Amino acid sequence: MTTAPVAAKPRGALAALRESRGGVSAEMKAWLKDQQDVRKRLRAALAGGPRTVPDMAGECGLEAGRVLWHLMAMRRYGEIAEAGERDRYLLYALKKG
Amino acid sequence: MPAIRERYDALVIGGGIAGMQAALDLSEQGYEVLLVERDPSIGGVMVGLNKVFPTLDCSSCICTPRMAEAAHHPRIQLRTWSEVKRVEPDGDGFRVEVLRKPRYVDEDKCLGCDECELVCPIDVPHEFDHGLGARRAVYVPHANAIPHKAVVDLEHCVYCGKCEKACPTDAFDFAQQPVVDTTRVGAVVVSTGLEITPMDRKQEYGGGRLPNVLSPLAMERLQSSNGPYGRVLRPSDGRIPRTIAYVQCAGSRDRSIGVPYCSRVCCMYALKQALLLRHSIHDVEVTLYCMDIRAFGKGYEQFYRRAVREGVRVVKGKVARIREADGHDLVLRVERIDADGRLEEHRYDLVVLAQGLVPAWHADGVVDIEEAEDGFVRTPEAKLNPSFTTMEGVFVAGVASGPKDIPDAIVEAGEAAMAAANHLERVRWRAGSLRAPEDESEEGVDVEADLAGAGTGGDGPASGGRWA
Repeated sequence: MTTAPVAAKPRGALAALRESRGGVSAEMKAWLKDQQDVRKRLRAALAGGPRTVPDMAGECGLEAGRVLWHLMAMRRYGEIAEAGERDRYLLYALKKG
Repeated sequence: MPAIRERYDALVIGGGIAGMQAALDLSEQGYEVLLVERDPSIGGVMVGLNKVFPTLDCSSCICTPRMAEAAHHPRIQLRTWSEVKRVEPDGDGFRVEVLRKPRYVDEDKCLGCDECELVCPIDVPHEFDHGLGARRAVYVPHANAIPHKAVVDLEHCVYCGKCEKACPTDAFDFAQQPVVDTTRVGAVVVSTGLEITPMDRKQEYGGGRLPNVLSPLAMERLQSSNGPYGRVLRPSDGRIPRTIAYVQCAGSRDRSIGVPYCSRVCCMYALKQALLLRHSIHDVEVTLYCMDIRAFGKGYEQFYRRAVREGVRVVKGKVARIREADGHDLVLRVERIDADGRLEEHRYDLVVLAQGLVPAWHADGVVDIEEAEDGFVRTPEAKLNPSFTTMEGVFVAGVASGPKDIPDAIVEAGEAAMAAANHLERVRWRAGSLRAPEDESEEGVDVEADLAGAGTGGDGPASGGRWA
């Protein structure tokens, strides 16, 4: 027995949900801004050719663990690929196209 | 998605390997089962594992067929992303409340095509990969997820609407609300599974604080072919490790952290991971620091010997603390049990803490069964009726009643299903006109009549139980 049936799908439901939750949180705004900033720097570094995580950490002024996490996100969603190995570090490169 | 019906024969709480097995065993006997899973996919811990010991079979290759079978069985109704809020005795059965959390996606329309995930602008740490990899704010839980449907993580959503626009089937429904359904069941199987001991429980090991100190489940993901890095790398800098240490009993057999019991599986999963590391990284050195090796099951001692033969180093020693050196390397301070208590320090690229098993769920406030001192469900007849709890009609399967490996969890789930079936026949519970006509088995035995007879006393299985 259903006590609270799902309402029919109304238009503008996303806007209403956003409003009911007080809009985008300051934390998520900062998160997105940081993500965009890091990705921009990583893409700029990779534009110069394949790089390892420490290469990019040095060039971009970022902590290597953060670089790895962002690279793996980019890899998962098809932006970069492995491009060889150097001194126990993998090289990563932007995918063409 | 079909609506919750007014009656089922059995409720199974938790869709890991034990819950799926119990649900399948009950449904194959002709019973109608409601299977409730709190995560957006069934499969539990097992579907995230790389391989199983001692056979080194692919874990998801064993688990996913069970997941598909449970999800598509005509006598199992599956509710994922849902939680059982209350189980209350009601006549011969139980009144059950189930909360369905909003996915913000219509499961009937979603194709699991990932188009929404590809356009979502937010990356957040993925729970399935223990934070090592990323997922989007809208995501299909993982590659083997069943149901293979998207779910929106509202905590990380920026309400950009790109997912909704990208969806080819107009499946997004941001008007969804939490829904509480009520139903009645004749028996309950609690199969709520495990968590590992919190990584920060033993502060001197640096778990949760030092990036290269990993949990065993994180290592499972790193070793999986569809893991977050696609191979084993150090989280601190992406280096292929050359030296790896396992700290055994890092979350068990330790009164100081409130987990005095042996978790049974840690020696074997550590040996399995260590052996597979030796196979995947040609020059890696792997050392296990342990008080002793407990290789208790069929073929387990042979597996231990094989791991040692293939280069895994096993040292009898207790790790006192782990500190970070330069470059995020790790220095272990070890008291050697096999060398008159000598203190040594050794440096490693990566350390895995062999964490123990603790219950993932507590019955408190949901169902009035007792827990034992260790937090697992109390089983008053642990030897002869291991699935019996302190409440008639409520049974337990898998790690919910105590640490055990996958084969034992599956065997116990079968026992729980049989005990639940006996109970249903004893109280003559019927979910209604739900029995399919094919209830007769292939051998021509009339299962219906057979089951009905079991509850009438005499030597039937239901008469031998605790509540007979």
